[in-house]
Amino acid sequence: MPDENKTFHSQLNRRRVLQGIGGAGIAGLAGCAGGSGDETEGTGTSSGGDSSGGDSTESESTEGGQSSGGKLRIALVKSPLEFDPLVLNDVPSSQVVDRVVEGLYTYDENTGIVPLLAEGSPTVENDGKRFTVTIKEGATFSNGDPVTAEDVKYSYEAPVAENTENASELNMIDTVEAVDERTVQFNLKYPYAPFKTTLTWYVVPKSVREEDKEAFNTGNSLVGSGPFTFEEWQEGNFARLAANPDYWGDPKPNLDEIEFVPVEEATTRVTTLKNGENDIIEEIPPKQYPTVRSIQDASIEEVPGIGYFYAAFNCNEGPTTDPKVREAIDYAFDMDQAVSSYVEPTGVRQYSPYPLSIAESWGFPLDEWKQIPHGKDVDQTKALLEEAGVPDDYTFKVIVPPDDKREQIGITISNGIKEAGWDATVQRLDWGAFLDKYVSGDESEYNIYTLGWSGTPDPDAFTYYLFGRDENTLGVTNGTFYGNNSEAGKQVSEKFIEARRTPEREERKALYEEATTTLLEDRVHLPAYNLKNSFGVKDYVEDFRSHPVSSFSITSDYNNVSVGNK
Amino acid sequence: MGRLRYTISRLLQSIPVIVGVITITFLLTDAIPGDPVQIMLGPSPSAQQAEAIRAKFGLDQPLHVRYFNYLFDVVRLDLGTSLYYGVPVTQKIAERLPVTLYLLLSSFTFALLTAVPLGIISAKRRNKPTDHISRVVALFGVSTPSFWIGLMLIIVFSFWLDIFPATNLILPWESPANVDGAANQLGVIAKSIHHLILPTITLGTLQMAAFTRIERSSMLEVLGEEYVKLARAYGVSETKIVRKHAFRNAQLPLITLVGLQLTGALGGAVLTETVFSINGMGRLIITAIQNQDFQLVMGTTLVFGLVFVIGVILTDLSYAYVDPRVSFDGSE
Repeated sequence: MPDENKTFHSQLNRRRVLQGIGGAGIAGLAGCAGGSGDETEGTGTSSGGDSSGGDSTESESTEGGQSSGGKLRIALVKSPLEFDPLVLNDVPSSQVVDRVVEGLYTYDENTGIVPLLAEGSPTVENDGKRFTVTIKEGATFSNGDPVTAEDVKYSYEAPVAENTENASELNMIDTVEAVDERTVQFNLKYPYAPFKTTLTWYVVPKSVREEDKEAFNTGNSLVGSGPFTFEEWQEGNFARLAANPDYWGDPKPNLDEIEFVPVEEATTRVTTLKNGENDIIEEIPPKQYPTVRSIQDASIEEVPGIGYFYAAFNCNEGPTTDPKVREAIDYAFDMDQAVSSYVEPTGVRQYSPYPLSIAESWGFPLDEWKQIPHGKDVDQTKALLEEAGVPDDYTFKVIVPPDDKREQIGITISNGIKEAGWDATVQRLDWGAFLDKYVSGDESEYNIYTLGWSGTPDPDAFTYYLFGRDENTLGVTNGTFYGNNSEAGKQVSEKFIEARRTPEREERKALYEEATTTLLEDRVHLPAYNLKNSFGVKDYVEDFRSHPVSSFSITSDYNNVSVGNK
Repeated sequence: MGRLRYTISRLLQSIPVIVGVITITFLLTDAIPGDPVQIMLGPSPSAQQAEAIRAKFGLDQPLHVRYFNYLFDVVRLDLGTSLYYGVPVTQKIAERLPVTLYLLLSSFTFALLTAVPLGIISAKRRNKPTDHISRVVALFGVSTPSFWIGLMLIIVFSFWLDIFPATNLILPWESPANVDGAANQLGVIAKSIHHLILPTITLGTLQMAAFTRIERSSMLEVLGEEYVKLARAYGVSETKIVRKHAFRNAQLPLITLVGLQLTGALGGAVLTETVFSINGMGRLIITAIQNQDFQLVMGTTLVFGLVFVIGVILTDLSYAYVDPRVSFDGSE
């Protein structure tokens, strides 16, 4: 996932947060490795369509059986680290484990939630505080044991009991009861509207994990109910999965084997796609798009991810607490232009905190929101800054994380401010320093920052953490402090918190719409773009799909990857 | 017994150097802004969780306590546990160091095998076209960053020509069962060399260039000595002069440089390993720094320091083999 391969973990599940924040993990690394982005431009065009291939990807067709797809090699940006789904919290690890371990529910081709281990939809009772799920008959783990209600209970309780990095993902749950062998009841502490997304959480066999948690985490004893089983892992070299011969579900996997290899450097990754060392590569940087397109026997498979990148203002201290100043800065540059220059084709312009698929499925007033940002008009900037009484010698501080795209947005903003006659600096910080500073609310540290966010496909994931004003968010993930100096900001936060506790969808929708319109008009955030999950795929790989939420899909209801003749 | 005594005394002398390396790295790592626990847990760790991790890794203790604890642990060869990987640092180093040493060995071999003949030819044909070419090559090598060379090699030999693989370095000690298309250990070694060629040139070019320049100038100096002139006057053939009279004497500066270049090459390994996705010490140190994995930064830096110290000691010792006038008992 372009945006997901970050260098650090988060307590908030990777699905919820990390993608966005950590997207620059790769870019940061590339910078460290010598600014790979810049000197790799235009690695030339490919002339020969035939790929005699590297030496490591020979297709092994099996005799008989439904497995006929051979071996698939996927180049990820980073190496997985650990494999216990109740513990892991980094994207490469989840990209591997998602093939091995399943949840009660999963996502359809898009962001809809459909049953996987569960039978039908959950029954919701007690004003949205009780969810009851029945497990499908015949669902088994790869060791042959049936998936039981006890396993589900254990999988949802263990992360909180063990205080793993995923604990906050599940801490709205009060109790989980195994009603009978195949029925589970979740009792929530409060009505939590997006709970259905929580029901996509992994289910692992209690007996196996309890026997040796260490071995479960290194993959040696990892067991799930998914279409693939864990074979071998060498940290930094590869992780290998094999088809689960006794997979309970349908369809059975076409592939015999999948190997995930980490290749950090983008040019190298693209090269391994061209010469056939790898069949699929993830994360194509903007400058490499033409190169990948020029490879005759490969194409790009992409879909916008569930992410949100933005510029945000310090509403706690300094001139940017004044909405006039924020509007002035909105006038100082053209976000459309910036996104088109620095982000496309690897991402798309976004006008609200909600990724397009969420905004569309909720029917949010996108056209209205699209009208809010101003185009560039430096005279307006000047007039508004003067009106707001910003001293002539004031220097605006923009901080950006180690990611080229977000840095470019920051530079564009500062150039606009300079054009209007004020000074501005852009500071590119390492993740450690950035994460410390952007939530300090300190004027001497920042007036403006650029960052990203990602999460589950629910509006809550993009509002509560970014604008909430409770102890879990203010100064923790919300670095704007919107509401410290304005009543409107306090109300926005209250509406977002109310929305997550409102089971009724229409009521929730109204709350999101009102609050979002206010914050966009108040220009707390200037929404910028969303990245795509992009993959370079050899033509002989059939039916590979990138996925907005789970990065990509190998074997599912709607696709089943196989490898044809190379 | 002079040599043994000398070796021991040099090893003892290196202890303060290593302590110095540890101290400086320790203080610098501590001074880096940002919090490793926050990087590890992301933007929103619960206070409880963060505290638990700090306590687990001893990060809650004052600097001087941590420093002395660390020194004490190093003496017991315990480099602590990596925050990022969750395994002992020594285990990670044991996995990665052989890979980097393999890469260093091959790139130094490449550098020496090309630089010595180039330098000699250059000196013998001073100011002739061959000399000019070799000097331009050397200048290019010295002034080109290795990651650029690496990317260019990948683009030309992997992307365009598709002769060499760009990733997936196979180690010569890998079991044939794990290597596609290798029937026996020899097959593995052959594959390993095939994979190693581009990284070797990438990392070795800088060394090669530096060695060529020093070889040329020191050869020129020796060829200008009185005794060489005398040999010429006696009618000794030019080839024989170079081989028998000048060659050995010209190697001392080169040996010094080889020892010193070891650290430079380790720096180059960081870039080379990143470009070619080689799982060695270079990538380990990058991961450590990016994640502010304190223990891992300390451990890898310590190993780099040790490699350098050992390189310098070996350089000193090898003088004696080349130049019999050098002795170690201080009685020269």
